[in-house]
Amino acid sequence: MSKSEFDIEIIVDDPTAPEPDSPAVTDIHTVEIVVSLMLLALAVMLGIDNWRTGASWDSTGPQAGYFPFYLSVILGGASLYGLVTTFLARRETSETFVTRAQLRRVMQVFVPTLLFCLAMQFLGLYVASFLLIAGFMRLVGKIAWWKSLLTAFVFTAIMFVTFDVAFDVIMPKGPLEAAFGR
Amino acid sequence: MEAFGLLMHGFVVLLTWKTIALMMVGLVLGIFVGVLPGLGGPNGVAILLPLTFTMDPTSAIVMLSCIYWGALFGGAITSILFNIPGEAWSVATTFDGYPMAQQGRAAEALTAAFTSSFIGSLVAVLLITFLAPMISSFALKFGPPEFFAVYLLTFCSFVGLGREAKHKTVISMSLGLLLAGVGMDTVSGTLRMTFGSNELLRGINFLVAVIGLFGISEILLTMEERLALRGHAAAISLRVVLKVWKDLPRYWATLLRSSFIGCWLGITPGGAIAASFMGYNLAKRFSKNPETFGKGRIEGVFAPETAAHASGTAALLPMLALGIPGSGTAAILLGGLMVWGLNPGPLLFVEHKDFVWGLIASMYLGNVVGLVLVLTTVPIFASILRVPFAAVAPMIVVSCAIGAYAIQNAMFDIWLMLGFGVVGYVFKKIGIPLAPFTLALVLGNRAEDAFRLSMIGSGGSMKVFWSNGLVGTITTLAIALLFWPVLDKAFGSIGRLLRPAKA
Amino acid sequence: MRKITKAAVALVAAMASFPAAAWEPTKPVEIVVAAGAGGASDQMARMMQAAIQKNNLMKQPVVVSLKGGASGAEALIYMKSSEGDPNKVLIAYSLIYMLPLSAKIPFNWRELTPVSVVAMDQFVLWDNIEGPKTVKDFIAAAKTAGSPFKMGGTGSKREDHVLTVFMEKRTGAKFSYLPYKSGGEAATQLVGKHTESNVNNPSENLEVWRAGQVRALCVFDKERIAYTTKVTETQSWNDIPTCKEEGLDVQYLMLRAMFLPGKVTPEQKDFYVDLFKKVTQTAEYKDYMEKQALKPVYLTGPEMLKFLEEDDALNKSLMTEAGFVAQ
Repeated sequence: MSKSEFDIEIIVDDPTAPEPDSPAVTDIHTVEIVVSLMLLALAVMLGIDNWRTGASWDSTGPQAGYFPFYLSVILGGASLYGLVTTFLARRETSETFVTRAQLRRVMQVFVPTLLFCLAMQFLGLYVASFLLIAGFMRLVGKIAWWKSLLTAFVFTAIMFVTFDVAFDVIMPKGPLEAAFGR
Repeated sequence: MEAFGLLMHGFVVLLTWKTIALMMVGLVLGIFVGVLPGLGGPNGVAILLPLTFTMDPTSAIVMLSCIYWGALFGGAITSILFNIPGEAWSVATTFDGYPMAQQGRAAEALTAAFTSSFIGSLVAVLLITFLAPMISSFALKFGPPEFFAVYLLTFCSFVGLGREAKHKTVISMSLGLLLAGVGMDTVSGTLRMTFGSNELLRGINFLVAVIGLFGISEILLTMEERLALRGHAAAISLRVVLKVWKDLPRYWATLLRSSFIGCWLGITPGGAIAASFMGYNLAKRFSKNPETFGKGRIEGVFAPETAAHASGTAALLPMLALGIPGSGTAAILLGGLMVWGLNPGPLLFVEHKDFVWGLIASMYLGNVVGLVLVLTTVPIFASILRVPFAAVAPMIVVSCAIGAYAIQNAMFDIWLMLGFGVVGYVFKKIGIPLAPFTLALVLGNRAEDAFRLSMIGSGGSMKVFWSNGLVGTITTLAIALLFWPVLDKAFGSIGRLLRPAKA
Repeated sequence: MRKITKAAVALVAAMASFPAAAWEPTKPVEIVVAAGAGGASDQMARMMQAAIQKNNLMKQPVVVSLKGGASGAEALIYMKSSEGDPNKVLIAYSLIYMLPLSAKIPFNWRELTPVSVVAMDQFVLWDNIEGPKTVKDFIAAAKTAGSPFKMGGTGSKREDHVLTVFMEKRTGAKFSYLPYKSGGEAATQLVGKHTESNVNNPSENLEVWRAGQVRALCVFDKERIAYTTKVTETQSWNDIPTCKEEGLDVQYLMLRAMFLPGKVTPEQKDFYVDLFKKVTQTAEYKDYMEKQALKPVYLTGPEMLKFLEEDDALNKSLMTEAGFVAQ
């Protein structure tokens, strides 16, 4: 066994990598304010709901809404604190949250994932997976059609055999599976 | 000696072809997810968990723990060969591991990493073996107040000792506790925070949240980076392995120190990340020539890897014994236990001896088999990195979806997973820690129930939390930890006041 | 979900149009469990799964699916929304009457298709082995105790809680009821002396009884349990006196019954009636009945309906009297 036989050089390129000089879409400062506001709204909503459930202390200890109510108060307080400190902090020093190029790449994954979840409701898991993998590899990864379709088919088939045939784990199914009587 | 007999029994339970085959499958899958970008220990285990739902608990935990070992081993491969830490706790391994690879000593570095992982876990497993029987001896002492005190201790230590901004830890934890409360309140039998929705009735499943928070959000984060890499995949020859092993005794101090740090930080919820850095820094501090660290010293690989693995393994002890996960992966395994109908806690050691000792025995076996497997197959796994991310990403998404759906057979959970994916992405970027959130989600209900049962039992008196030595000590410790930053300062200033007086 | 159901209905319709002799499932059959893993319903479902598969009672595999969320309400809602799907069978117990009353869950068992009652479960009053030795001593001790006796049980405003309230009403002693997540937890908490007693089903306390850690005081039924094989070193199930014998006149039995979703065809229902009839004749079923001290009962058709209506009325009156009906 010569040493060179096993010494494999591995080089992977990333031609669609986000450019480092891409302009910022938003900075962390702004996102923190938005998140704090959303958490505050959530805290108020849950607080009101738990107050209605009953947030007092009766003869057998706290009622169902007692802990969640005070937790909403704590959550609200902490988000308010976050909001105030972020406002007081100087804005110029805030770092970039996401650049335009990065956001484009993130959306390239997020949007297909969203479509996949939607498709799953109607087509079942296996057909939706096939479409996601084949489509993603071809359209986002620019990989040859035959490779994309083959990979998607093999992966989906393995999943089907593992879960549906071998382990009897029931997955959402659509018209295609129904046509085959499964 | 009882421990030894039980352990032998555990081995007997395991030594069947079926279990060994499951181990191999688990290890291979684990190394696979460990090497792939955007996955890793907790994510891999979370995604593969549904595979085990139809198995018996012992086979299931053997397979899952092997996935976990595999992922830990896999993380070391990418850190050393490509300078890509698969996990936060592998970061310290890259400091000296990658320089070694660049100097053409990749095989040596990999052997060092795998061997020290093995040693670290072995020390922790030994610790578990000898502590486990002690745990079962006080199993029956735990009533609702004791359980609540332990949960309180965990929550307080996160807030008091966390390094993130305090208000962010509090946000993360209270959000987790709130979401844990959605659904039916078991103590009073009333519904809360469901807003009349049938989907929210069953509550928010912790595993669904974890798959979203770690799996989906990790893919989104990975996409932001430049995914190019360059490196050499080296095979490991027997000669190199023996050379590294022959030198091992020279580093006994480093190995022992790191194992100790790892075990300690694993049992207290400090975690593998802190352990690996602490192990590295201490090795550097105690070294005669610390300036050579970072330039390719084999000790710089030994120290963090031993500590990380000792801590990752030791984290299973509080998970099994008290139901408190010491790490993200332990939290997921905890979720698994509950799915299989096993209630973690001191009684697990009494009622499910077979399971507990089977698990402990599988830790020994899994490590040995894993060590042999990685040493022989490094080049194959390294070439997985050639698979373009455009093919890997959708497969991970599909695996996440299968995982999220299979837990409760609910389509709604797919949407929850997606929602948590976005939340995880945003939270990670603005520095809200996710660990307190997951911990709160998994322990929230049990902590609340324990508190309310204590109140019913005591007729509404808080004194119950100081009613005996055991519960009193834990409660007091919890409160002390919560105010640790304040106490630390106070002690510091007292110290400063006293010192000039003495001088 | 609805899409799948529709597809299934279409498929079933297609199958039904063939001149086949009788209906048979074409997909894996789900036994839906309205409780967590390891509980009494789960164990029973797994026994049935084993009995069906070992004796080849059905071609399609059986899958146990746990829907214990929201104290079992998840399973009820799931069955209700699976209208017309003949591949799901619920293994039901008294929660079908109680949950809609206590938590205002929009569910009524009449919307499902009753298949058969397969067993009745007993309730036993247990205390720690170091506690009072007879029901009379136990009640006397509970009355004179400084703080109320702690009674462990599963869930809130359910069968265990109802029994506790009725014990209070009959004896005048006060108990504080501690709702645990499962019967197993209630059992170990009794052994650890964190509670003074519990009203677990025989199966839930079996292990700790055998280990000599708890004592069975009395069984809440008109007659003693029939099984006479020794379970502990000295006692069989038959040796436990009834509560009435001991002067505590409280009785309660809990049904274990199979239900299909609503709007399934009579042929589909007949298939399951026949299937569970066969299950009750297997050795697995008989072993299980004895091991868990269940009362083997088999009711179907109009007999079952009559029983359900009576049982529903009884549970409703108990719940109302105990003050557990949500306003």
